[in-house]
Amino acid sequence: MSEVHYAGRRDPRKVIVALVLIMTVSVAAYAVWVWPKPKLLVYTYDSFLAWGDNPDTIDNEVFGPFMRQYGVDVQIVRLQTDANGVVSRLVAEAQRPVADVVIGIDNILILQAPARDVTEPYVPSNLNLVNDSFVNALDPEHHVVPFDFGLVTMVYSRSEINETAHPELANLTFADLTNPELASALVTENPLLSSPGLAFLLTQIAVYEKLLNQDWKSWWTQVKGHIDVQPGWTEAWTKWDTDPTKRMLVSYGTDPAYSYYTTNTTPDTALAPIYHDGSHYAWMQVEGIGLVKNGPNPTLARAFIDYCLTPSVQSYVALNQWMFPAGNHISLNAAFGYALHLNEVAILNELLTRSEIAANLSAWLDDWDLIMST
Amino acid sequence: MKAQALANHLILYFPLILLACFLVYPVCAVIAGGIAAGFRTSPLQVLTSPITLQALLFSAYQAALSTLLAVGLGLPGAYLLARLRFRGSSIVRAAMVVPFVLPPIVVVVGFLQMFGSFGFLDSLAMAVLGSQTSVLNLATGTTGIVLAHAFYNVPLVVLMVSSSLERLNPDVEESAEILGASPIRKMQRIVLPHILPALLASATLTYLFCFTSFPIVLSLGGGAYSTLEVRIWYAFRGFDYSEASTLALVQILITVALAFSYFRLGRSRSYDASPTSSIKQFSIGELRGRYVVLALAYVALLLVLVAGPIVAVVRAAIYDPVARVYTLEGFGSLISTGLGGGMVPLINSVFYAGISTVLAVILGVPLAYANRNQNSTMSSISSIATFLPLGVSAITLAYGLMLSVVVPLGLSVNPWPAIVLAQTMIGLPFSARSIEVALRNIDPALLDQADLLGASRLQRLFFVEIPLLAPGILVGAVFAFAMAIGEMSATLFIALPQNVTLAVAIYQNLSVRKFVQAGAASLVLVVVCLVAFLAIERMTGRRLGGVL
Repeated sequence: MSEVHYAGRRDPRKVIVALVLIMTVSVAAYAVWVWPKPKLLVYTYDSFLAWGDNPDTIDNEVFGPFMRQYGVDVQIVRLQTDANGVVSRLVAEAQRPVADVVIGIDNILILQAPARDVTEPYVPSNLNLVNDSFVNALDPEHHVVPFDFGLVTMVYSRSEINETAHPELANLTFADLTNPELASALVTENPLLSSPGLAFLLTQIAVYEKLLNQDWKSWWTQVKGHIDVQPGWTEAWTKWDTDPTKRMLVSYGTDPAYSYYTTNTTPDTALAPIYHDGSHYAWMQVEGIGLVKNGPNPTLARAFIDYCLTPSVQSYVALNQWMFPAGNHISLNAAFGYALHLNEVAILNELLTRSEIAANLSAWLDDWDLIMST
Repeated sequence: MKAQALANHLILYFPLILLACFLVYPVCAVIAGGIAAGFRTSPLQVLTSPITLQALLFSAYQAALSTLLAVGLGLPGAYLLARLRFRGSSIVRAAMVVPFVLPPIVVVVGFLQMFGSFGFLDSLAMAVLGSQTSVLNLATGTTGIVLAHAFYNVPLVVLMVSSSLERLNPDVEESAEILGASPIRKMQRIVLPHILPALLASATLTYLFCFTSFPIVLSLGGGAYSTLEVRIWYAFRGFDYSEASTLALVQILITVALAFSYFRLGRSRSYDASPTSSIKQFSIGELRGRYVVLALAYVALLLVLVAGPIVAVVRAAIYDPVARVYTLEGFGSLISTGLGGGMVPLINSVFYAGISTVLAVILGVPLAYANRNQNSTMSSISSIATFLPLGVSAITLAYGLMLSVVVPLGLSVNPWPAIVLAQTMIGLPFSARSIEVALRNIDPALLDQADLLGASRLQRLFFVEIPLLAPGILVGAVFAFAMAIGEMSATLFIALPQNVTLAVAIYQNLSVRKFVQAGAASLVLVVVCLVAFLAIERMTGRRLGGVL
């Protein structure tokens, strides 16, 4: 072939040296860029306080006063996972913990041994700022103390399905949902992978076992093949939003409030809490904050937990987290008029006790799994 | 001479040593730890459970269907891409790999809009039938899972096979034609045997990829289907580490068995390496009428399958589904600085995937040579090790890397090296296999000539072997990059906020309903990958190399 081809040859050793040089410099530069500084580390899930107007500056806004008071840098480490994944990471790091505080472990997750193993009980001096009923619903042993709470319920889009065509939506029962038309319009989350999905399963178990005195498994056998089970809330919401045949979603009771707050119009999202014999029911999820066992800065961590229960943090919960603050007497934005409130429903947690859930959870999940996959 | 031989061995087996340290050891540690922690569910219970058996059968069954479909759809594409000379062929090549890098949730959304109820195909069918209700939903159940898997893997088959076809000797073809062979016979006797190694390699990679599939199965299967990988994930989430370990071990054993049969199959055939050269090409104008129609029909089919989700991504970047308006707001967040801001995920993605790709190629070359080694024990071990990263469940690897690399080395607050390691591992099967296939097509006589002319080992490698391996390195690097930049499972588990990659950022934006930002990030990811693929193509040089 042509001479030109041979003219441009470089010594391979030069190429190797150049390559090694480029790699070394870029790796070193990157390493310096991300080199960690000593801080109080708070592990939490990915969407913690991420729903507000200024998610980029929220940490400074909420925790800035604490940082200045104690002269410490607080880093909110949002792990790219949910609370269950946060616990897995704490388990993996149990030999050499780097985190001081964990936020997001809820009233079901704390029943599982690994979540208790990685946290250390701590009773904040200002725990009286939180209603006892939340403390007891979450963890009477105080491995975690309440940070916020929410009600898991079904929501639907008024433009796609409404009470004129489906009057049963006003007082929706699980029996109504066995109608294939409604069942195939419902998207829920996989209870094996997602906390709202698990809350929905517990809702259904509580209603069947405690209110109707029926075998809970019969309902799942009836809706199987129609109901759409997505791996997580994000996937479920996306499916509900993009697929016109999916009209109902298992989600949080604050959804219409969020819709009102972001669009400033009467929300298209409506609530359909489960109905039985004259009242509506919902499952309450309480999310907690706790001390990481053997964390590097326990004293500071305790002060931080105390701080999180005060109104200076709690008043930010509603609009940035779209959950209810656990603290007493925190005023809520007018948008929350559209949310499902605690006094509007009977709480199913009171029917299904902590010890009952702890004893049966894995068997229930196995049964659910077996029904769905065979 | 002894030192030379030792150095050779060291270079040859260096990738294996790394695999042992960063793949085998962490995974063994997890499995041993899981089993030592005592049994909440005993291995016997796990193995005899009907659910495990069902997951195993479903994994095997859907992977087989998906592989058949991907190979069936991919072969004509490979033939066209190798044979046809046309402008923009490198862009087509690069665009095909894009689906590989998109996070599953984006693929699923694009897929629903193409194949789901009231999607593109359904609307078409409804219009034809004059129906008001949905008539065609291909995005659900086994059909949906298999189609989505094919969508992911067709490009793999196309690119691996076409890069092998490029080395088909035109003289052999001509001789066959002169001797009166019919096109079918020519295909049977000449083309097929030539591409068989590439076909086998891409089919095995596809099979493993689908066998261990996890998010697609969960999302499109609607909770009713599970693969072994799904079962591992369930067990892990339930903190049942002994069950997770047992299942992970089963999956590894299956991978090893598959890799071993691949190795035996490859060994049992001997190839007469013909003189190295490059295939005879046509321009589009030279095609005859019937073939033009066939080619166009094929391209249309491929467009529906592969381009649909990409179009959906572009639309998602500029259309806000909540406010129902077109906006460029999504791109605004990409320019913002600071941790979690737009540029950080971009820099992270490019950095991790870039380093991982270089490593995967550097490790892939000796691994490919080791696979072709005369010593059959060593070559079988290295050949099996090559597939291993695909069979190790991502969560097991991520957890293992955390337990036995990140935490002991004190990297917990700065774990990016573990992300690079995980991404390198996952790209290695692709780079090593495609380089190995290219290696098979090199004529040993050429190397002897180089030796005779007095080339040093380094000169021979750089001026003779690497240019000849260029098509294989190109395809390998492209897929290693794609696997790395699209990797989610391990990255999600290991990453701290400062390590967020684009794929992770897309998912995060979706989870707080920032749809345009997610769309914009997806588009950036697509563009970054296109640029990277074209750059890789440029760097590996004109595909024929300089020596011919």
